[in-house]
Amino acid sequence: MTLQSRNLIPRYLVVLLFMLIVLIPIWGALMSAFKSNTEIASSPFSLPQTWTLDNFREAWTVGKFSIFFKNSVIVTTIVVIASVFLSTLSGYAFGQLPLPGKAILFPLMLVGYMVPFEAVVIPLYNWMGLLGLRNTYWALILPQIGLSVSFGTLWMSTFFENAPRELVDAATIDGCNRWQTLWQILWPLARPATTTLIVLIFMWTWNEFLLALVMVQTEAMRTLPVGLAFFQGKYTSNLSLMAAGAIIVALPTVLIYIIFQRFFIRGMLGGAIKG
Amino acid sequence: MKPQTHRRPGESRWKGYLYLIPAFAVYLFFTLIPILETVRSSFYDWGALGKSNTWVGLENYLSLLNDSTFLKAFSNNLVFIIFYSFIPILLGLFLASLLGRFPIPGFTFFRTVLFLPQVISMVVVGVIWRWMFHPTTGPVNLFLGAIGLERLQQAWLGSFKWALPAVGSVGSWVQYGFCMVLFLAGMQRISEEYYEASSLDGANGLQQFFFITIPELKSEIGVALITTIIAALRVFDLVYATTRGGPGESTLVTGFLIYRTAILNNEIGYGAAVATVLTIVILSLSLLIRRLMTESTDEEA
Amino acid sequence: MKHFRNIFLVAMISLLALSSCLTAVTEEPMQDVVEEVNLLIWDQFYRPEESAVIDILNREFEASHPGVKIEREVKVLDDLKLTVKLALSEADGPDVSQVNQGRSDMGELVKADLLLPLNDYSTKFEWATVFSTSVASRNSFTPDGKTFGQGNLYGVSPTAEVVGVFYNKGIFADNDWTVPTTFEEFETLLAEIKAADVTPISFGSLDGWNAIHEYSAIQHLLVSQDYINDLTYGVNNVSFDTAENRDAAQILVDWAEAGYFTEGFAGIGYDDSNNNFKAGEGAMTITGSWFAPELMTGTDQEFGFFLLPGFSGKPTMAIGGVGVPYSIRKTTENPDLAAEYLNWMISPRAAELWAVAGMLPAMSLPEESDVKVETDNLFGDTLFAWETINKNNAVGHYIDWATPTFYDTLVAELQKLLGGVSTPADFTAAVEVDYAKFLSEQGE
Repeated sequence: MTLQSRNLIPRYLVVLLFMLIVLIPIWGALMSAFKSNTEIASSPFSLPQTWTLDNFREAWTVGKFSIFFKNSVIVTTIVVIASVFLSTLSGYAFGQLPLPGKAILFPLMLVGYMVPFEAVVIPLYNWMGLLGLRNTYWALILPQIGLSVSFGTLWMSTFFENAPRELVDAATIDGCNRWQTLWQILWPLARPATTTLIVLIFMWTWNEFLLALVMVQTEAMRTLPVGLAFFQGKYTSNLSLMAAGAIIVALPTVLIYIIFQRFFIRGMLGGAIKG
Repeated sequence: MKPQTHRRPGESRWKGYLYLIPAFAVYLFFTLIPILETVRSSFYDWGALGKSNTWVGLENYLSLLNDSTFLKAFSNNLVFIIFYSFIPILLGLFLASLLGRFPIPGFTFFRTVLFLPQVISMVVVGVIWRWMFHPTTGPVNLFLGAIGLERLQQAWLGSFKWALPAVGSVGSWVQYGFCMVLFLAGMQRISEEYYEASSLDGANGLQQFFFITIPELKSEIGVALITTIIAALRVFDLVYATTRGGPGESTLVTGFLIYRTAILNNEIGYGAAVATVLTIVILSLSLLIRRLMTESTDEEA
Repeated sequence: MKHFRNIFLVAMISLLALSSCLTAVTEEPMQDVVEEVNLLIWDQFYRPEESAVIDILNREFEASHPGVKIEREVKVLDDLKLTVKLALSEADGPDVSQVNQGRSDMGELVKADLLLPLNDYSTKFEWATVFSTSVASRNSFTPDGKTFGQGNLYGVSPTAEVVGVFYNKGIFADNDWTVPTTFEEFETLLAEIKAADVTPISFGSLDGWNAIHEYSAIQHLLVSQDYINDLTYGVNNVSFDTAENRDAAQILVDWAEAGYFTEGFAGIGYDDSNNNFKAGEGAMTITGSWFAPELMTGTDQEFGFFLLPGFSGKPTMAIGGVGVPYSIRKTTENPDLAAEYLNWMISPRAAELWAVAGMLPAMSLPEESDVKVETDNLFGDTLFAWETINKNNAVGHYIDWATPTFYDTLVAELQKLLGGVSTPADFTAAVEVDYAKFLSEQGE
């Protein structure tokens, strides 16, 4: 123990250093968003001499971030609700219900969790007209649900597999059918697992880029990350405006992360283990 | 892993499918079938917008082997594995060993911050680092200048020598906190008795790290390898937002090549072949590492 | 089977709820009046000075066409190139869109039969009096999309472009430097500027594409016009691997090695570099006349423009032509109205608005007008340059139009050349591989 306390200060300094490496670029972007361009050039990391919200205002209106934000909210909300609902049902099927052919189905679901969007984007891009999805929210939502339920099913099935047997048996004796057992008995217990799934799918959908880049063609349908990428093309040299845009894109996921940190970390680690 | 899938009396054995089908249908139509379609189109010389397509068999794959652009992109992905996987895992192990056994004040805060880059959109990360690496106004060069290392200043993202390491180190920046948190979680499992016993035997901290911590974290290291290697092979957003593969092809990656070939230049069949190769590599690598992990866990058991 | 019904009901209801709320979001608003027509226009005039011109023209078009409402979507060129292919095959795609010239963009769209041939409208509106044949050929393809430079007309360009040298008049005056008249003088000047510790050419190659202009501007001084035409249109089996193209590459490399470009240019973007130049950093920059409007507002510096001068005794040819053209979606419900819009975008009125904004119009200025177009300025310089190369029949081409992949190839190979990882001979050989492959596929 004494050895460890003696090492406290050097350990502290090393950890602090690595924390600063993470924090400095983010801090710089945050501060830049509240400054003028001339001020960024002279002192990128200091607090703004005068705080201004003009950059945010301009990004929001001229940069159309209000539209991108609305689109991101719509797409993400629907993907999260639908994926979590569908994954709960299918996870229940894998974890609790008779399911002939499970040995084949399970690895089949696993494929979706591992493949990159690059593997599906080309046909989806070509089929959009046939599917009647061109330039609609569906073009972003449906493929995203497809990939999300793959992970969601695996995630929820782990929960249902390990759900307390006695409870399920008791419910059966009380005359609950499968549907009632799921929603009345197990679902309340699944809150932590569901919360984790919600925050993960939220983050993946909110940050998704390739699909959103190629599946919709008009500004009116774009989500935040794509909006930001093209914004960068228009305003490369306007650093403060770029920074404000970047903060608008990142803020919701960062806030959710800070609030639901426990679930996030558990999910990312657990999700990784499943992979 | 004892599934409770007993049928109840009188229940159809197909019952599970009622619950599975809604999710599976979406998955089938928007993931599985597109994957198969990607594979199918890779056997065609497929022009834009579905206009001209002729069966060419393996021709696309054969030309991949001689396509220096593809080979360059793929080898860049391999280099990215060093930055996305190996460096973060080493750093993560190092940091976890500093933080793991004896909590230090502010531990939760450190963990929160170090994990933060994981949740931020890669486009945002790219935008931020494009600024950090700017040759004249970027903080990286300003910092080097301030500490008297002007000769190390570079046009980072535009340099043939430095662009790949620069973009790669952004990957390390994103991943090391994740690895650390992963290992910290694993270390909570390791019984303190191991360390105490080895201390009595005269083992020093370094020996304990190599002979207790690392072996005990085997499964976490495996997990870290899978996730970070897949991330390295899938890189797209970051390259799009920083260099678009340049200068030359020095940061071109497979993901970006697929986008450029199939979507921008309308060579659907060829792009699909690249996508198929990438998918196969990713799938087999994840399966391989999983297999290795299960084997090593089995041996222990 | 009661449970089945339960699940099915829930699934159906949730799907219905989803789809109804989605339809509500994506559905187009109903048109109240029958007579009202919406014209959806995509363009890439996103810079404020350019965007303002289009807004005025659109307002005036609406005023002269009661019931017509213009919906405009502004995109950066990257965005346009990516999205226009799909959008034009849609029933609710843009009625009129700018479409980049060359094989990878306009050529592919013609091949896919998505663009309306404009020959009839050209006769009707007498566009032949507005554009010369050589201009029209830049927007022409045969209906199969294979042959570039002839066949149907698929677009009209409102602006003209010439690539040359912008210079900072203040810096030139302070140092008694004068505009060079031969390439030899230009190179001497570069050395002088460098010796005075000023950046001779403000340049940033991070985005890649503008390096094509730096290179090709020099190339245009070494090759013949026939060669550039043949190369661009893919005729007469020319090669890229020639002594002239190698020499041009060598000159570019020499400049880079001599430090004539901005320090760290490889890591600087195009807009970044332009902003630095506008702020007074660097004596010159080589780019297209489209940069002029930006240099005419919001700066206390004064700028001029000249053509990159030819080698003594040799003619001066410059990259130039017309800007990104407007095309009409083949399946538009209002082709006549769309054509009228095109005609308006290349009207004398449009010409004068562009000129006032500092942008070269592709059409002649009106002979009589209330609007006074200043020419004693940067715009006048670019206009003079444009008229000079037209008068001398010395208008060159953007060589990246030549093959569908030429743009990617040139960007990558030029970055290699400038980064010192390949030699001029490697460069021309590598580009020739792309070009020869294209020619052989074309021949099949």
